[in-house]
Amino acid sequence: MWRYMGRKIGIYGITFVVAVTINWMIPRFMPGDPVSSMLSRASISDPEALERMTAYYNDVFGLDTPLHQQYFSFWAGLFRGDLGISVWLYPEPVTDIILRAVPFTVGLLLPAIILSWIIGNRFGAFAARSKILDNTLLPIGYILTATPYMWIALLLAWALAVNGGFFPTAGGYSFALTPSFSWVFISNLLSHWFLPFLSMFVVALGGWAIGMRNMIIYELEADYSNYLQALGAPRRLIRRYAFRNAMLPQITGLAVQLGTLIAGALLTEIVFNYPGLGTLMLNSLNNRDFFLLQGIFLFVVIGVLIANFIIDIIYVLVDPRTRVQMTGGSS
Amino acid sequence: MSNIPGAPGAADGASAPEAVGERKVSETLHFARRNPKLLIGSSIVLILLLTGLIGPLFVDHGPNEYVGPQSQPPSSEYWFGTTTFGQDIWAQFVHGLRSTFFTGALGGGIAFVVGTTIGFVAGYKGGIVDEILNMLTNVVLVLPGMVVLIVAVAYLDVRGLLVQALFIGLTSWPWAARAVRSQALSLATRDYVDLARLSGRRTWRIITSEVAPNMSSYLVMSFILLFGGAILIAAGLDFIGLGPAGGVSLGLMLENAVGWSALQLGMWWWFIPPGTGITVLVGSMYILNVGLDEVFNPKLREL
Amino acid sequence: MKSLRLPAALAALVMVASACSGEGGEGGGSEGYPRNETLYTTGTAWGPPTNWNPIMEGNYAVGTVGLVYEPLFLFDPNENEYTPWLAESDEWPDENTHVITLREGVEWTDGEPLVAEDVVTTLELGHFDIHYSNVWDYLESAEATGEREVTLTFSEPRPQEWMNWVSARAIVPDHIWADKDESKVTDDPNQDPVGTGAYVYENHADDRMVWKRNDDWWGTEALGLEMKPTYIVDIVNASNDVTMNMLNNHEIDLSNNFLPGIDQVINDDNNITSYYAGAPYMQSANTAWLIPNHEHPALGDPVFRSALAHAIDLEQIVTGPYTNLVEPADPSGLLPQWDDYIDHELVSEEGFSFDASEAVAILEEAGYLDEDGDGFVETPDGEEITLTLEVPSGWTDWMESANVIAGNAQEVGINVEPAFPEHDLLIENFRKAEFDLMINNDRGLSNTPWTYYDFIFQLPINEQQTTANYARYENEEAWDLTQQLAAVPADDVEGAAEITSDLQEIFLEDLPIIPLWYNGMWSQASNNVWTNWPSEASDTPDNFATMWNNMYQMGAIYTLAEIELAE
Repeated sequence: MWRYMGRKIGIYGITFVVAVTINWMIPRFMPGDPVSSMLSRASISDPEALERMTAYYNDVFGLDTPLHQQYFSFWAGLFRGDLGISVWLYPEPVTDIILRAVPFTVGLLLPAIILSWIIGNRFGAFAARSKILDNTLLPIGYILTATPYMWIALLLAWALAVNGGFFPTAGGYSFALTPSFSWVFISNLLSHWFLPFLSMFVVALGGWAIGMRNMIIYELEADYSNYLQALGAPRRLIRRYAFRNAMLPQITGLAVQLGTLIAGALLTEIVFNYPGLGTLMLNSLNNRDFFLLQGIFLFVVIGVLIANFIIDIIYVLVDPRTRVQMTGGSS
Repeated sequence: MSNIPGAPGAADGASAPEAVGERKVSETLHFARRNPKLLIGSSIVLILLLTGLIGPLFVDHGPNEYVGPQSQPPSSEYWFGTTTFGQDIWAQFVHGLRSTFFTGALGGGIAFVVGTTIGFVAGYKGGIVDEILNMLTNVVLVLPGMVVLIVAVAYLDVRGLLVQALFIGLTSWPWAARAVRSQALSLATRDYVDLARLSGRRTWRIITSEVAPNMSSYLVMSFILLFGGAILIAAGLDFIGLGPAGGVSLGLMLENAVGWSALQLGMWWWFIPPGTGITVLVGSMYILNVGLDEVFNPKLREL
Repeated sequence: MKSLRLPAALAALVMVASACSGEGGEGGGSEGYPRNETLYTTGTAWGPPTNWNPIMEGNYAVGTVGLVYEPLFLFDPNENEYTPWLAESDEWPDENTHVITLREGVEWTDGEPLVAEDVVTTLELGHFDIHYSNVWDYLESAEATGEREVTLTFSEPRPQEWMNWVSARAIVPDHIWADKDESKVTDDPNQDPVGTGAYVYENHADDRMVWKRNDDWWGTEALGLEMKPTYIVDIVNASNDVTMNMLNNHEIDLSNNFLPGIDQVINDDNNITSYYAGAPYMQSANTAWLIPNHEHPALGDPVFRSALAHAIDLEQIVTGPYTNLVEPADPSGLLPQWDDYIDHELVSEEGFSFDASEAVAILEEAGYLDEDGDGFVETPDGEEITLTLEVPSGWTDWMESANVIAGNAQEVGINVEPAFPEHDLLIENFRKAEFDLMINNDRGLSNTPWTYYDFIFQLPINEQQTTANYARYENEEAWDLTQQLAAVPADDVEGAAEITSDLQEIFLEDLPIIPLWYNGMWSQASNNVWTNWPSEASDTPDNFATMWNNMYQMGAIYTLAEIELAE
């Protein structure tokens, strides 16, 4: 079990290094020079002044040092929590900008993932019980999971916000409010949060339900189920075993799906102009702010790694085999 | 990066397929003809494919040309209505379907080839090769594919369908590699494979002649899932403005409809077709896949 | 997994966490800004507000100049005259001297009075590398000759150019700015802006900027202007559809960017209005130009440019992507507000208009023929011509217009393909002359058509062209005339018109750049909460209803005092 966790942590470590390297590399080969983009907005016509300012900003952004030095100072900066300065929102540090957006994305993702996973699994297990349910829920589940995230977000926004008027159409909280710890603000935050959450939840729900349904059916056809059945065990008991066993691959599925779910969150945020990482990413893209883009990428990777690690721990705790190993190993 | 959480084989726990024999083929066909999921799914996919292939031949103007009156709802002349500029939405739809199929097939295909190759080699060879390939797979698997794609595609100066498909293919294979590897692992220890190995055949030959055929059904299903996943990813990229420049695709249609406020102006005929097109196409593929699973896997038929 | 209690609790925790993480909440916002005291606007800020430094042109939060920092004069484009603002009066004792007297009783928001030193310091900042450093090309000295009297001495009189500075640039307080070094001046976010204006900083977040009325503002007493909204919430631009949603729900009062299909909304919803009730709905704000790169062999040829100009069917662009929200530009390219400067006789004689067969004829006559039969013409030397028309990616209206132009050009045999690079990349490319064709509208309405001619004819050509003459057109005579125009006294319209007439002759002869259409002063307002928006109707104001940068200085500031609460 410790060996298993050690291996996992090793892989995450390597992934992190790879991500940081990709992250450092890609933007440096992007077309477009961040310094001249910065200067374009400061409209300077005197060529001498332009030259001086270019030199100044090159210094600030560290672009005129040798590549390997840039790479090491990038790592050094990383450990100081310094990801550079945004070009788009000059002169704000990238880390600050991202930290403001992270709570919104996490607040959207975490509930959507956890709730859809739990409820989806329940639905799936439920559907696997009868042919009628199976034949109705299954197609719905497949349609849901095949729906592009932004499409369902658009339809929900259109139906419930634009035409229905039940929810606000955009933003993280009302433009009339300043964040505070009051009921007015929190309820407002919730009403803005609900539609993006719902669209993510609905798409993810279908996927989990189908996955669970398929797993249960596999488990019910497995030898141990048949054996139990032959022994005359009650159907409920067999189903419970099947459900437990089906849970394990579903937990692994959670780790596998994280990337897709995050992509979904980014697209959903864009539709609702929700002030999270997705909207920020689109903005940094459109403004060619590669320091910001880089920072967001890194944050997403770190988030995914942490989430994977948590899922691993849960997996180890839930899996009866590793549990036995753990007690056995400690004695 | 498949979009099907826990789809058959998505996780490591699925049962290993059985050896395929002559008599099983006719049996499979027998069940295939009677499986409604397979029939419905495949016919929808086929209809859409034909529309994408043949449709453009019957449209005599380009999909982006201003041909008709502006903002018209569907009529006998313009089946799907027209855009704000007077473009024929039907023409865009059929062309869009075509490129959507193209991206899906190519992106899914590349992911399939890369994924299965790595999976087979890792699973069959084992040892250090497995260690390295498995680590590579895990690293790519953990990296959030879409985010990598956004950063990478943004970097490109010229964006086209081909490049988009290539990038999607190169980032979405790990899931398939992992699934194939676990299958190959269990097959590699079978007697007939050992026999083949003892007879001194080359690894590549053993994989293609002994291991792969025994999981052909599994491979077909993986490909379909990758296909569907690639379409969804491409639609997402198109939607945030990273689609092929000057081209047509269902995702781009959606982006345009939204960008030109079709929702707010009540032009439902502009944003309904592309979204429905993607959903129905990918959904039918998934349903077709379940059907296939039931046909290939006799244990599932009884339910 | 016994029940849903755990995830629900988790979700609540996340909510609380995200609630705590926003900007520190101070001020009266916890119960929200009262709807009937707040003006919600959007369409001007393209990114989160990050600085309030009026020297960082193009970077500061929209409203920093105009609402907080104010200029000496406003310019009224309708009447073509200067209105004293922070200044009380001015006079020109001789050609080289300008004496400006400041208003009495104006205070900075920290309680200090406005003094002549403030103006001097503001100008002295130009010795650093900032956007108006070029005033020192013709300004010799700026001196405080009295507590509230500034005397400016010019080494070279350029009244038109100087008045552009006076009516556009904001004055900063000497007691705060005098001690700042260069990096402070050009880099400091100036978190706590101290201005003289009608509004003060209240709050900001990544998606909004909130201003609060300055109840001690000098203008209330001196000009009788009472700013109606207590709060102005300027919402950072979202996508077109999000803005449209908010406008349809009347969640915003004023939207200042191009919204496709807004004509339908204005026609359907009586409570959403624009300046004109019918097409083109919007006033004109700037000219969109088709800019050819003169270093290209074919585009450097005036005859070829003329053929290209004749090939473009502006009507198709105006009715297509813009659904009549814009108007085709005058062949001179000058804005309707500059009608006095347009030589109509000359323009009707020499001006171009859409005529595809004429374009073909021009090409044929000049030897641009399709010898190799690929459907596109080659140069008289037989070289292929393939041109790319670039507009920034994401600028949907321009992208669609570029498609139309490319199609038009192909009809007459000129091979033009549209391309959509990222905005910054495009800027970088055109500065270095690495482009064929592009659309640009960098210069807008101002106090003088000199700004347009400066944009078209400016010499010398540098390695990088950063603010003007992107086409790299070289014509000494035209540049001389442009400089003469800068020297015409600000109130001498006739004298200026004589020079602009000569300039138009050169312009129409050579067509260094091709005027396309007038981009609108995009402005659509909801009348649910605030009414009396400027419109063509005689009983409403005529100033601009816009929050765009540099428009406050052209009268948009009045709009805030003129709007009224809806019944």
